[in-house]
Amino acid sequence: MLSKILPEKIFQIIDSKVNMKLVNELRFRADKPIIVCVNGKNYFLAESGVTSNIDAALYTSKIAIEDIIFRASECSIYSVNEQIKRGFIITESGLRIGIGGNIVEENSSVKTMNHFTSCNIRFPHNVKNCCLTAFPFIFHDNLIENTLVISPPNCGKTTFLRDFVYQLSERKLPFNVLLIDERGELDVNLTSNFCDKIAFCSKKMGFENGIRSLSPDIIVTDEIGQEEDIKALFYAVTSGVRLLASTHCDSMENFLKKPLFSELIKEKVFKRYVFLSKRNGPGTFEGIFNENFERLG
Amino acid sequence: MRYFIIVVLFGLCTLIGYYFFCKYNKRKRLFSALILLGEKLTVDINFSREKLKTLIEGLDQGIKRQLYGIDNVFLDYLDKRGELSINSLKKLDFVKQDEKEFILLFLKALGRSDVDNQTKEIQSFVKRFSEIAERCKAEYKKYGSMSIKLGIVGGLFIVVLLI
Repeated sequence: MLSKILPEKIFQIIDSKVNMKLVNELRFRADKPIIVCVNGKNYFLAESGVTSNIDAALYTSKIAIEDIIFRASECSIYSVNEQIKRGFIITESGLRIGIGGNIVEENSSVKTMNHFTSCNIRFPHNVKNCCLTAFPFIFHDNLIENTLVISPPNCGKTTFLRDFVYQLSERKLPFNVLLIDERGELDVNLTSNFCDKIAFCSKKMGFENGIRSLSPDIIVTDEIGQEEDIKALFYAVTSGVRLLASTHCDSMENFLKKPLFSELIKEKVFKRYVFLSKRNGPGTFEGIFNENFERLG
Repeated sequence: MRYFIIVVLFGLCTLIGYYFFCKYNKRKRLFSALILLGEKLTVDINFSREKLKTLIEGLDQGIKRQLYGIDNVFLDYLDKRGELSINSLKKLDFVKQDEKEFILLFLKALGRSDVDNQTKEIQSFVKRFSEIAERCKAEYKKYGSMSIKLGIVGGLFIVVLLI
């Protein structure tokens, strides 16, 4: 798939000299060196492969970035404009490409983006059993506790959620799981037998439609970040659905200061908080806390 | 032998006339097909938002024939098998250089913007294609049939001279 998106020369190098199993991200910025994120650490891409020597780094032009985005949309930007409005494109094979450029606003809403100046290609990895440390704290007495996974970007939140759903299926726990996947990232190669998915819609719409039509036991969703998302979570909880969600934050202390989550914390909606970092690589467990923020593990 | 040469020369003159007739006819057909292509893309992009490749592959055989290979050149470009350059349109020997450049501009603009802007862009290209198509029709009317007639008349003139 990368061969269809990337400029020929860059693809040749990546294909022959970079171990893609270890790559988390490729970053392209106009007239800047190409960055390869390997195991959570940033390096430059050079003719010889991955390097930390900036003098050997390969650069990308604005035209090349526009071409990557054009190719990623299967040469049809108009067909993915709804995604572009939210700042990303999901390719045919499920890769998420984040986009930087100019936002065009009309009537106080985003109409589209143009003059693309940067993009990052994220490579999702299924890390089997990566959630096992937290699993017994989240699932016990045949019940799933409402859980929020917290971490800075690129620390394995989505991988954790994906593995958790996989583990439920592996243990033949017949919970009906509903993935509300705003960005189409959650279900890459997911092999769960009890899983439905609503993708590329807002959380509000996904929660309302999903609960009404698919009667899930558990809703799994990524990146809670807006007032509307919080309302959707409350709607799910009051409908008797269990939650497994994630959000961005760099520390537990800062999380507690976020006004967006104050109501959720006060109402003790989440019974478990899992905090991840990339201290020892993406997915490092920093702690598992209960609703009173007492450390469980 | 003499009569054989006379027949060959007559045939040659008629063929030259026919060649020019075909050239004007092809030009007329190509630009009419490009207008149809533009209008079809406008409708499809607005309603189905299908990918360009699907839209081009799904074109009616009639339009495809009249595009004289432009659709294949474009599909190769979409599949990264070829480039969009004047060289890739070298088969269109009946199209002028500036017209080729304009066709390339059209193809390069496809798929690069949101629905609104794409529609406006295609419409402006269709407008320009319509102007060229009108000119081609006028040329065809004026010179198309005249070329064949001139070919035949020229051939007959040589025949008379030789006899």
